[in-house]
Amino acid sequence: MQSVPEQFEGLALDGGNLTLAVALVVGGLAVWGGTVWIVRRVLLRVGVDEAVEGTAFERAAQGVGSSTVGLVSQVCGVFLLLFGALYVVETLDIAPSRSLVFTVNQFLARLFVAVLVVIVGVLVGDKAEIVVGERLRSVKLPEVTVIPRLVKYSVLYIATLVALSQLRVATGALLIMLAAYAFGLFFLGGLAFKDLLSSAAAGVYLLLVEPYSIGDEVEIDGSRGIVQEMDIFVTLVESDGEEYLIPNRKVLRKGATRVRG
Amino acid sequence: MDELGALLDDIVADVDSVFLFSPSASVHESFADAEPPVVVVAPENAVDAERYVELPLEFRSLRERIRFGVEGGLDDGYLEEGDQVGCAAELFADDIDTVTRVRAGDFDHSGVYGLFVNSRADPEVIRNVFEVAIELGKKGQKGKRVGALFVVGDAGKVMNNSRPLSYNPFEKSHVHVGDPIVDVMLKEFSRLDGAFVVSDAGKIVSSYRYLEPAAEGVDIPKGLGARHMAAGAITRDTNAVAVVLSESDGLVRAFSGGEIVLELDPEEY
Repeated sequence: MQSVPEQFEGLALDGGNLTLAVALVVGGLAVWGGTVWIVRRVLLRVGVDEAVEGTAFERAAQGVGSSTVGLVSQVCGVFLLLFGALYVVETLDIAPSRSLVFTVNQFLARLFVAVLVVIVGVLVGDKAEIVVGERLRSVKLPEVTVIPRLVKYSVLYIATLVALSQLRVATGALLIMLAAYAFGLFFLGGLAFKDLLSSAAAGVYLLLVEPYSIGDEVEIDGSRGIVQEMDIFVTLVESDGEEYLIPNRKVLRKGATRVRG
Repeated sequence: MDELGALLDDIVADVDSVFLFSPSASVHESFADAEPPVVVVAPENAVDAERYVELPLEFRSLRERIRFGVEGGLDDGYLEEGDQVGCAAELFADDIDTVTRVRAGDFDHSGVYGLFVNSRADPEVIRNVFEVAIELGKKGQKGKRVGALFVVGDAGKVMNNSRPLSYNPFEKSHVHVGDPIVDVMLKEFSRLDGAFVVSDAGKIVSSYRYLEPAAEGVDIPKGLGARHMAAGAITRDTNAVAVVLSESDGLVRAFSGGEIVLELDPEEY
């Protein structure tokens, strides 16, 4: 009758390595559990669960009985487990070649970042859509619902771009599209909002210094009357028959005359 | 109880229009095919009604609520003078439990609806001022009754029809009625004499203001003091609306065009 150790003789490729591998699997599982727990705690402490409330992603996650925080921490855990497994494979030396392990390792790291970027992109996109939509709710115009959606897809587009370039997919064409889009947005938008921006800059000065205030009689660029209202963009001046809406940049450019009563 | 049903039938017989006050979605749904369409009167249009009158304040008294709704209906053209209106509203419960009938135009046209909707200032601003006045009337300042006078809208003209009693505490500040911090500030400054001036957009332009309108011919009930007289007079001289909290009887009154258009008891809100 053979003794028990003899039965196992020959099973191990290398006695030391097997013990090490078993220790690694056990340690890996422990680290996995720990990571999931820590990531979850950190995300909760930072307030991620409240921030993502109401987004489509969170609802989808809750549909499968999880939550965004749970999902993200699980993803972190799974990737950690994969890295661990890879390490075990390397230690046991059962991979066909070392360079394969190295390649897979590199790819896993990039995949991990790409997945995180996509998740964050979807979350930020959803959240931006909700926030912008709420801001615009007071504007009673059906077409305005396009803007929150535009914001969402812009964020998603950029997130996809980052994720794809992480995976070393050729993104040149997409990048050119993004550049054209950004150029259109900033250049044309800047052109369109030029007057509003310069008025706002002047308005900040006027509101802070208040060279004239509501109730004063002023003359600005030929319009004379009593100041009825000042906000960041315009000054509303009213005379007996007319109401003048004077952009604040005009006040700074042309100057204002205050009439002493 | 056939008799009661018959009585109810009598009340609602040949009404020209139906007003629902803050109906639930299901109640509104059941009136979907009513002819003519029902008019919804509520603080906000939660049921997406086509014909809708906004209640700017939560009038506790049913009388005030119906009066406001009917005046709004007249103003928006949902009603003609002399129309019979069936009103369904809540009186005791949180949903509709009361049916009554009024004739549009039976109330003397007080302009309480116009006070909110047709004033120079935004309805929102006037509502916020009312809320501040009501709050102030309820709690007083450090437990003591206070009076206050708010002149809302047409601030440029009001400023030119008044003079400062002392330095203006709101100079170079940009606070608006309705901002959370303002309630406390107004409460403190209400100790100072004089009026608060609020612009069309709700900016508090000044407090501590002595109003100098011509008071001749302003007709307000006897027994009201100088504060009310000033409020009546300034709204006749300018396009402003004045909201007054009386120190002696604790009521909130609103003036427009030199006349009292609304009288509220803060304790009821």
